[in-house]
Amino acid sequence: MFKKGVLRELFDSLFGKTWPMWVGGILLALLNILLFVIKYPWGASGGYVNIGQNLFQTLGAKSLGTSTPISLHTVALLNIFIVLGAFISSLFSKEFSIKVAPVGELVKGLIGGALMGIGATVGIGCTTGGFFSGVPALSGGALFLSLGFMLGTIVALRYLLWEMEALPNISMGKSCTLLPGTGKKTGWQRWLGWILIVVVLYIFSNYTGKGTSLSKILGWHIFIALILGIILQRSRFCIVRAFREPFMTGESSAPVAVILSVLIVLIGFTVLKYFGVGNAGETAVRAIEMKSVYANFWLRALIGGFIFGLGMTVAGGCAVGTLWRAGEGHLKLWMSIVGFVIMAPVSKGFIVPAVVKIIPESLRSKMFLPEYLGYTGAVVLLLVILLLWYMFVKWNEKTGKFSAL
Amino acid sequence: MQVDQTLDCKGLSCPMPIIKLAKTVKKMNSDEVLEMIGTDPGSKTDVPAWCEKTGNVFLEQKEEGGAFIFYIKKK
Repeated sequence: MFKKGVLRELFDSLFGKTWPMWVGGILLALLNILLFVIKYPWGASGGYVNIGQNLFQTLGAKSLGTSTPISLHTVALLNIFIVLGAFISSLFSKEFSIKVAPVGELVKGLIGGALMGIGATVGIGCTTGGFFSGVPALSGGALFLSLGFMLGTIVALRYLLWEMEALPNISMGKSCTLLPGTGKKTGWQRWLGWILIVVVLYIFSNYTGKGTSLSKILGWHIFIALILGIILQRSRFCIVRAFREPFMTGESSAPVAVILSVLIVLIGFTVLKYFGVGNAGETAVRAIEMKSVYANFWLRALIGGFIFGLGMTVAGGCAVGTLWRAGEGHLKLWMSIVGFVIMAPVSKGFIVPAVVKIIPESLRSKMFLPEYLGYTGAVVLLLVILLLWYMFVKWNEKTGKFSAL
Repeated sequence: MQVDQTLDCKGLSCPMPIIKLAKTVKKMNSDEVLEMIGTDPGSKTDVPAWCEKTGNVFLEQKEEGGAFIFYIKKK
């Protein structure tokens, strides 16, 4: 669409080839730090809950509804515009097509999404808010949530391998691809991408133009989500892979990218919390310290994390991985969104109250690591855990001791 | 190129193509060539990476009407 020139070269270098995942990891980490400063660290499951609650509200199920419309919910907007950003990115890179998976796979998407909806509400947090933001936020519960993700992933991966032997028909059958980006008469896809960029920027300026502090915050979430979506799609940044790959192929690139990314966020969040930065003036310093620290230490986090881990592995994408793959056109991940959006409010309304009744308060408390270890001790503990994980991943890549494939 | 077996992964998303690929190659004989067809853009990096990791030979990759076609020779 451009004459060969420097701009065309720039475009091709951005959208011609997949970025290494660690490049995505660094960029996402920086944006997560920005989100902390603007309002709150990155999360995703809260957005699914809000969208689901709005859906139930519209359908007249008031008990599962909410009073916050999607247009005023930062996380719901993040989710929606991440899908759009990934859609635009896949149009630009000619990777978009509507990928219709066999029926069995679509059902797995739905079930995986529903399990994530239950896990994220029971454990309070998904791989984004609970892990990618929670661990660097120095939350003790986040460590148990992560352990839960890993255990759930291992179990669900066993299931997938078993399914392949015992029920191979689930992943076979009719599938098709619509509107592929390569081939003849596909130039409109890139033009559509540009039009959508203009639309998103228009919405962004509309929000920020209103001038209230809330509308400015919402507007910037829309803009950042667009960038997040593009980075996620180009680098195929995937937290499921970070947990799954050591036990599947043994490949270390995804876990290493995520470890690097968490490390950068850890530095950023620690500084922000230590100095009490991040919409200060509006928020008390204590509230800033407790950002992304939830009342889930430790059993609640472990149970929720396990259920979420099952779901994300069966669906083939965590809360955010589902979003960018949906933007790329995978129908299975659209089913995962449907399952997540429907189940999260139901779980919040019915399952969570029951869980809270059973689990004593001492096993679902807020645990801010620096309160017990000091800032230095907390950061050192996390660095040791990240280092051990790195060493395990690299050792396993060489030996294949824990890898199934 | 002589293709000994074809694996259809159209419509499937990560991790199913790689699990299927590993399972299929396991059952093939040495030096046989597998043609794998998929639509997940992730396969463009995942399949060569898997071949390198497992020592199987990644022969060629092409794109046709939104599908990616890979040729892999079992070691």
